[in-house]
Amino acid sequence: MSYCVNCGVELGAGVGKCPLCSTPVLNPRAPIDRDAPPFFPTRHEEVEPVSRRMAGLLLSAMFASVTVCCGVLNLIFYRELWWSFFPGGAAVMFWVWFAVPLLFRKINAWYRLTLDTLAIGVYVLLIALAVHGLDWYLHLAVPILLCAVCVCPTVIWVVKYRRLSILSSAILVLLSAGFLAVAVELICDLYLHDAWLPGWSLIVLISCVGLCIPLIVIRRVPSLREEARRRFHI
Amino acid sequence: MADSATPWYRMDNASVMYSAIQREDYSAIYRFSAFMDRDVDPEALQRAVERAMPRFPGFAVRIRRGFFWYYFEPNPSPGPFVREDAADFCRPVRFGEDNGWLVRFLYYGRRISIEVFHALADGAGSLVFFRALLAEYLRQLGEDIPADCAVDLDAPPQREELEDAYRRHAGRVSRRPAQVRRAYQDIGTPEPFYTFNVTMGFVSIASLKARAAALGGTITEYLAAVLIHLLLEKQRQERHHRQRPVTLGIPVNLRAYFPTETLRNFIMTVQVTADPGLGDYGLAELVNLVRCQMRLYATRQNLQAVMTRGVRLQYNPLLQIIPRVVKNLIMLRSYRSSGVRPYTATFTNPGYFSVPEQMSAHIEHMEVVLGQAAVARPHISAIGYGDTMEITFSGTQQENDLEREFFRFLVREGLHVHVESTRP
Repeated sequence: MSYCVNCGVELGAGVGKCPLCSTPVLNPRAPIDRDAPPFFPTRHEEVEPVSRRMAGLLLSAMFASVTVCCGVLNLIFYRELWWSFFPGGAAVMFWVWFAVPLLFRKINAWYRLTLDTLAIGVYVLLIALAVHGLDWYLHLAVPILLCAVCVCPTVIWVVKYRRLSILSSAILVLLSAGFLAVAVELICDLYLHDAWLPGWSLIVLISCVGLCIPLIVIRRVPSLREEARRRFHI
Repeated sequence: MADSATPWYRMDNASVMYSAIQREDYSAIYRFSAFMDRDVDPEALQRAVERAMPRFPGFAVRIRRGFFWYYFEPNPSPGPFVREDAADFCRPVRFGEDNGWLVRFLYYGRRISIEVFHALADGAGSLVFFRALLAEYLRQLGEDIPADCAVDLDAPPQREELEDAYRRHAGRVSRRPAQVRRAYQDIGTPEPFYTFNVTMGFVSIASLKARAAALGGTITEYLAAVLIHLLLEKQRQERHHRQRPVTLGIPVNLRAYFPTETLRNFIMTVQVTADPGLGDYGLAELVNLVRCQMRLYATRQNLQAVMTRGVRLQYNPLLQIIPRVVKNLIMLRSYRSSGVRPYTATFTNPGYFSVPEQMSAHIEHMEVVLGQAAVARPHISAIGYGDTMEITFSGTQQENDLEREFFRFLVREGLHVHVESTRP
């Protein structure tokens, strides 16, 4: 048996260096016994899960397969309609949503969000092209998409980087959802009736405001806030 | 779906928490090993397991997912089967894998190990089971081990061994434990996918006891004081803007305070803390501090009040109707705030493993390993057998500075330390 000259601990007969400080064992009177069985097993049993990149490639192959198969079938069946745009566009959109984050891990979150939104835009555009609906695409889909693009990243940015509390974040998300609903109805009304006829979106907005009021009260009253934090671990 | 006639039983207070915080890459699991006097015979060990399992129905269960709670039911699957040990100690338990078994039996060279999911039993309960298994294994090898050496495997299982002792001993008064809310966090760099580092140190119990007695404490108090001393020093060297208290979580076996025969969980963690803001501490002062805090907090009244709080939460009708999925999220978050942040490290000493003379000649030493912590920091555990105290540092952190300084410290204290490690 040898001792580590640095730590002073006794080491096993087959150990070549101290496991505490990595100092090599050099003992001419007790050379390292290379044949001694290791004190602990060395065989690993736990298998590393599939890497994200492999999962991304697998997903890409699946989506590509769907797109190609539908495209080829479209050339044979129902050739009067570009129906393959529906599954193909969906496959592209899902690829951007799910496979891109797996394939490119270091991609900036804002670029990803932009890509995700563009993917939705492209998918809706493909549907519009397939059904000859560029008019509703430009006057309905694009404005709604732009509204969502303005609201969602702003909310995420505020929640993430302004380090809001859970209560403040919940209030912000609820109010944003309410106003987004109003904007969507406004765009729909302007496209369909050329006038704003507020209806369902006001119910959504009032519900969201109603949900926010107790949260604002809790947020503003320190004793309530402390009680909520203690009881709900927030 | 389980047959409606299939018996089932509720989880105890600790099991509920351990099952809720279970993840794909994390489980509350621990291992006991016996280093025998000769190479292990796996066939004899398998026969011993098959003899022992029916006597301990609390270990022969699987976890089922109810809508509101997890629960246990007897596992009808074949097994559990003895396996050759691998380098990945204390791998996470996945409820759907390994036929649902929550206990593993492993062998390597002269070492017999069991790994137990903490929801089944605490260390004291598992050691009763392990002692009976070792006795039966030696019998299978032809050794003359009398039936009264351990639990009689021919006797029927006792109902008391399955009782929820937390519920039985819950009192009228409920109290939140008085503890430091946020302790110094000695969190290291996590290793890449499943790399679990284990370093064991073997020290003579007699010399350790003599050194501890010279400082006025027991072995547990002395080892805890050394750990606190080194963690205080580590925090000082890291030069944090704010020096936080160093606290150790020390599990206390409640069987010493409340009569029960249960083999299920019946422990509670007591916090032992030293605040660097109050000044410097000598080792003797730290031993005294640990000793006093253990006596202050580990009283029957205090433990019962904290235990009652846990039981009341578990059986609160309003909390019971929350779906399990939601409850798991709440408990995971609660575990971070009440089980991770208030502690710098966990130090557990299940005590001295005593066996009758007929068995002791066949066991060289005992080992204990606590599975990974919820964050990359070391868990420290110790078990005594014969004249050997085995002290283990285990965790998924790359750094080994705490264990290095700990064993060097013992050497400087004049103790002989033999070290073995899975670290390359």
